[in-house]
Amino acid sequence: MSVPAPRTARKAGDPPAFQLRLYVAGQTAKSLDAFANLKRICETHLAGQYCIEVIDLTKTPQLAAGDQILAVPTVVRRLPEPIKKIIGDFSNEERVLVGLDVQPINA
Amino acid sequence: MHKHLSSRSALLDENAALHAQLDEAAETLRAIRSGEVDALVVQSSRGPQIYTLQGQDAETNRFRGEMLAQVSDAIIAVDGDERITYLNAAAERLYGFDGPRALGRTLTTIFKSRWLHPQDEAAARTALQERGEWRGENVHVRHDGHELNVESSITVLRGIDGLPTGQLAVIRDVTERKQNEDRVLVSEIRYRRLFEAAHDGVLVLDAGTHRIIDANPFMTQMLGYPRDQLIGKELFEIGLLRDDAASQEMFRNLERAEQVRYESLPLESPGGRHQTVEVVANLYEENGRPVIQCNIRDITERRRSEEHVKLLMAEVNHRAKNLLAVVQAVAYQTAKHGDPATFADRLSERIGGLAAGQDLLVKSEWKGVEVCELVEAQLAHFKELIGRRVVLDGPPAQLTPQAAQGIGMALHELATNAVKYGALSNGEGRVRIVWKIIADSTPAFSISWLEDGGPKVAAPGRKGFGQIVIGRMAEAAVQGVAAITYGESGLSWNLSAPLEDTLTVIQVAA
Repeated sequence: MSVPAPRTARKAGDPPAFQLRLYVAGQTAKSLDAFANLKRICETHLAGQYCIEVIDLTKTPQLAAGDQILAVPTVVRRLPEPIKKIIGDFSNEERVLVGLDVQPINA
Repeated sequence: MHKHLSSRSALLDENAALHAQLDEAAETLRAIRSGEVDALVVQSSRGPQIYTLQGQDAETNRFRGEMLAQVSDAIIAVDGDERITYLNAAAERLYGFDGPRALGRTLTTIFKSRWLHPQDEAAARTALQERGEWRGENVHVRHDGHELNVESSITVLRGIDGLPTGQLAVIRDVTERKQNEDRVLVSEIRYRRLFEAAHDGVLVLDAGTHRIIDANPFMTQMLGYPRDQLIGKELFEIGLLRDDAASQEMFRNLERAEQVRYESLPLESPGGRHQTVEVVANLYEENGRPVIQCNIRDITERRRSEEHVKLLMAEVNHRAKNLLAVVQAVAYQTAKHGDPATFADRLSERIGGLAAGQDLLVKSEWKGVEVCELVEAQLAHFKELIGRRVVLDGPPAQLTPQAAQGIGMALHELATNAVKYGALSNGEGRVRIVWKIIADSTPAFSISWLEDGGPKVAAPGRKGFGQIVIGRMAEAAVQGVAAITYGESGLSWNLSAPLEDTLTVIQVAA
C-alpha cells in the first residue's frame, strides 16, 4: 500500500517531493525515449515537485547494485517512500502514473 | 503468543517482499517481451555486468554481417583465448578455411605468424596493450604451408565494461604488391648499378626545360665537373653542343624521331682536354614526364686507332709495291746472272730471305728489326752453328725497315756463299758477324761479315747478282758504303752507313 503524493505547494529550498532516478545503458534510442516520456509525464502531473537523476550504467555499472536494477531503462522512485520501480520506455502514461503512485492532475 | 505473532508478522513481510520481487520479475519480463528494454544487469563476482539485448538490433547486426562479408579484406574476430568468433568470406578465401570449421578454433589453426623483424612481435604486443591497436606487416603461413605477405590492422575489442574481450583483425593480402615492390627494387638496384658503373657518360635531361636532371659518375669524370655543377645546365653550357641553336635543333629532331645520333662531336672539358664523343639521345617518358637520355661515349682513342689503321693500310700498300719491285728485280737479276737450271732454286732461296726479313718487320709492326734477330733469321738454316762456328757480336740496335731489308738480303747472300764456297763449306771455318755504332762527328753504323778458316777464296770473274746484293743494293738501302775483300783466310764484307739512315733509335755512346 502506498501513500498518495502530497500535492501541497513546495517552499523554496525544500527538496522536491518526488525524487526519481532513471537508470539507462548509454544513449540509446530507448533510453532517450524513456527520459523524454518520463519528463513529459512529470511535467504534466508533478510540475515543480520532482527531480530526475539519470545514471548511465555503461559508465558506472556498480551503481546498479544499490537499487537492485535488473534491466534498463528503469526508473526508481526514491522519494516519497516506499521505493517503487518501473521498467520500460514509459510510453504508457497510465502505467507510469500507477507505477509511481502519482495522482493524475485532471483525475 | 507474542513470539507467535512476531513470527507471523515476519513471515507476512517476507511473503510481501517475495511478492514484490515476483512482481518486479514479471514486470521485467513484460518489458523485455514488449521490446522496451535496452540491457540487462547481471550480478557477477566482478560486480554488476551490463549485457545489451540484441532484440531489435538483430536486423542491424545481420546487415553489418552482410557488409563485412562483402569486404575484400579478410576480417577475423577472436575472443580472449584467441578462439575465432567470426571470419568473413574474404578470410575464408584467403586462408582456405570454411567459416563453420574455423569457428571456436584457435587462430593458429588457420595460420601462423612469421615476423619480418625479430623485434616486431614484441612491438605489436606492446601496441595492443598500451594503445589497443596495432598496424603493420608480417607473413602469415597458412595451414597448407602457403605464405602470404599481409598488412594487418588489429584492434582490441572491449565489453561494455571496458574490459578486453578479444581482438578484431582486418587483414589485407599484399603478397603480389610485395613481389612487385621486390621486383622494382631489384630492377632499381640493377639499373642504378648500370648507370653508376657505366663506362659511357649518361645524362638525363628534362625534355621541357632541356636542362640536366641527372648525370652518372663517368660523365662527371669525362667533363671534370662535379655532379652538382652539371645539374641544371643545358648541353651547350657544358661544351657538348656548340651553341643554343645547335641544342634547339637537336631537341627538334628528337621530338620528330625520338632518337638522334651524332657520330662524332668535339667535346672540350673545362681543363682544356679535347675529346671526340659519340652521342645517342633518346626521348622517352618517365612516369608520364618526358625526359631525354643522352649516352655519351668517348671515341677519342677509337678515332686515333682508326686513323692509325688507315695510315698503316697506306703504308702496307706502299711497302707491298716496293717489295714486289724488289722481287721483280731479284727475279730479273737471278735469271740474267745465274744458271737457268738452278734459277728456280736460287730465286726461291732469295725470296725466302726476303720473307724472313719481312716477317720480322711485320712482327714489329714495321717499326724496325733488331740486328741480332735479323742475323738469326737470315741464318735460320744454320742455327746449330750459331755460337760455335758463327759468332754474333754487337750492341742492341734496331734497323729501319729499309735498312733491315737491304742488310737482310746481303746477309742471306753472304751465308749462301759461305756454305757453298766459303768458311761454312768445310768443317773448320768460322764466321764472325760484328756490328757497332761509331760515335763520331757524323755517327755511323757499321756491320761486318768476317770469314776465317775456310778454303782460299778469290774474287769472282764476273759480277753475279749476289755481288750486286751485297754491294750496290745494300749501299742503296742505307746510303752507305760496302767493301768486299777476298783474303787468304776468307771473305770479309763491311757495310758502313750514316746512323740516321740505318737505325730507328739513335743512341750514341758518349
